Amino acid sequence: MKALDNFKADFENTLQLSKGLIKEIRSKAFEKFISEKFPTRRDEYWKYSDPSSILKLDLNYNDSGDFKDDSYDIILSNGRIVKTISKFKTGNISDGLDNGDVPKEIFKEEKNPFLNLNNAFAVNGCYLILDSKTKKDVKILNVINNNSDCQAVYPKLVIIAKKNSDSTVFEEVKVVGEGINFVNSVVDIILEDGANLEHIILDDYAKDTYSISNICVKQSKDSNFRSHNFSMGKKLARRDYNIELLGTGANCDLYGLYFVDGENHIDHHTTVEHKKEHCTSNEHYKGILSGKSVGVFNGRIHVHPKAQKTDAIQNNQNLLLTDDAIIHTKPELEIYADDVKCTHGATVGQLDEKALFYLRTRGLNQKEAQGLLMRAYVGEIIDHISNGEIRTRMMNIVLDRLPKGD
Amino acid sequence: MLKITNLHASVEGNSILKGINLEVKAGETHAIMGPNGSGKSTLAQVLAGHDDYEVDKGEVSYLGKDLLEMDVDERACEGVFLAFQYPVELPGVNNTYFLKSALNAQRKYRGESEIDAMEFMDLIGDKIKLLNLKDSLLKRPVNEGFSGGEKKRNEIFQMAVLEPKLALLDETDSGLDIDALRIVAGGVNAMRSKDNATIIVTHYQRLLNYIVPDYVHVLVDGKIISSGDKALALELEEKGYDKIIEESKA
Ligand SMILES: Nc1ncnc2c1ncn2[C@@H]1O[C@H](COP(=O)(O)OP(=O)(O)OP(=O)(O)O)[C@@H](O)[C@H]1O
Ligand SMILES: [Mg+2]
Repeated sequence: MKALDNFKADFENTLQLSKGLIKEIRSKAFEKFISEKFPTRRDEYWKYSDPSSILKLDLNYNDSGDFKDDSYDIILSNGRIVKTISKFKTGNISDGLDNGDVPKEIFKEEKNPFLNLNNAFAVNGCYLILDSKTKKDVKILNVINNNSDCQAVYPKLVIIAKKNSDSTVFEEVKVVGEGINFVNSVVDIILEDGANLEHIILDDYAKDTYSISNICVKQSKDSNFRSHNFSMGKKLARRDYNIELLGTGANCDLYGLYFVDGENHIDHHTTVEHKKEHCTSNEHYKGILSGKSVGVFNGRIHVHPKAQKTDAIQNNQNLLLTDDAIIHTKPELEIYADDVKCTHGATVGQLDEKALFYLRTRGLNQKEAQGLLMRAYVGEIIDHISNGEIRTRMMNIVLDRLPKGD
Repeated sequence: MLKITNLHASVEGNSILKGINLEVKAGETHAIMGPNGSGKSTLAQVLAGHDDYEVDKGEVSYLGKDLLEMDVDERACEGVFLAFQYPVELPGVNNTYFLKSALNAQRKYRGESEIDAMEFMDLIGDKIKLLNLKDSLLKRPVNEGFSGGEKKRNEIFQMAVLEPKLALLDETDSGLDIDALRIVAGGVNAMRSKDNATIIVTHYQRLLNYIVPDYVHVLVDGKIISSGDKALALELEEKGYDKIIEESKA
């Protein structure tokens, strides 16, 4: 397969760029990646999203290109740091590993081949230490800068929220240039005891982009993670959240909003591992699908034997604007403790006809009525963003990107 | 203003309206009474343009135009307003935002500029007073969790803001307590003028003490079997529908 040969060549060509701990991590990860079979739709985990389409691409590793924008604190261009700000403790992951800012335990061998592949190409990558007890906002821009036709990029971000810190990280993905992108990105997030972190991720529109994104979160005692995921369908778009509640009293809120149109595809697999007692998780994902698009939502809640007094909620709602759009939604509950509260639900539907009629009897035309109902639909997710400025901005962006209906 | 001629309508193949004739002139108030299931709401919904109802026969002319040819929102913009028997809840849609959007849609249709925020607040301030509406209802999603009476009052509040030419009030009095009934009736009366008309669907003579109709019609099994002035409502109350139906057959 074309891409596999290219992965090998690119890996070998770039390995000499790395020194110190990262070199060993990369080598091990690549070995692991190569030794395992590349997933296909026959794997349960990839049933509705075919990653083998990536293998047909003539991909070339690229981390070049610059980008400037004053409104962001940190900018990565094709995964390489092109801007940081001294206000925050941040730097190249490789340096962070060597100076001890980044614990090397983050980079273990993984089951998920795309985590291994991302580690194998951890030439660049950025870490960010959040240690302020007074609330800090960080804005990160992740630019996919296409100047090479058919490129593979491996953005990598490590965020460490120190004990009792309080922060908001806003991460925006922007695709510039024309061409095919394979974006294999990973965000590793660690929340120490009592840390409070709100993480907002906003995807860009991008045709001809294959995006596989993994967000891995490890939460210690009494930490609080709030995630807002705004994602857009692509040729292939897959985002996994893997949340581990490792300390008692940890809480996570996962909010998501996805749009997919045309013949595009979007897939979310989320896993919340309840490993300790008295943890709560609250997940609410909503999708809007139009055209002949396909959406997938798989929400797994795994309550380990020790995790008594777990309180887990999961909900997935989907709005299908056309007859040809398809959604596969599935909760996956594995509960091994007995004193647990766990609820889940999924709905698939159209805009409420009664509501549309009611609005139209007040003078709004079909489009305006649909717009108002969709605004309400997305508002129920967006309203949870605590930062007012970001909330307003997200509302405007989302309204702008809403399918215009018919 | 409104002329309904031999209107037949059905839903899912069941014929419900079976030849309605009704003429309403500007400045008039008509009451329609009739037993449950006789087709009163169907008539109101057909006039508002609900597409669950098939018009099989007949004509409706409104201000010289063919009403049945117009889209739902076009009818609204031309001044037809339906106060629903069962107002719809709109989760997540802020009541004030909704009303402003509706008003602006109608203004746009009429070629007027959008109302600015200040003007709008002034306008609704007056109407809130007129209907003695709780301020908090404006900040909530439309009708969501409103009590039955609050929903009805909210319908009339919308009407007061949108100032329709032809108002269709479908059992607006049901579910209102005695004080609310008086306030809502007061609101409706305040809006009456020589240029607009009102059709009130009700089961209760009591409402007609407050909103005095020029005509009362009795709708039974999809047809108007009897028409008269406000005395007919009193007669109905006294005799019941069976008697009136019998008399109409005689
Ligand atoms: N969408 C619908 N689908 C099926 N049947 C309907 C529908 N709408 C109305 N009907 C039927 O049409 C008939 C007339 O209903 P309508 O609501 O017009 O009565 P109404 O006179 O308003 O009664 P009420 O006094 O109880 O409000 C009823 O038998 C009702 O069940
Ligand atoms: Mg009725």
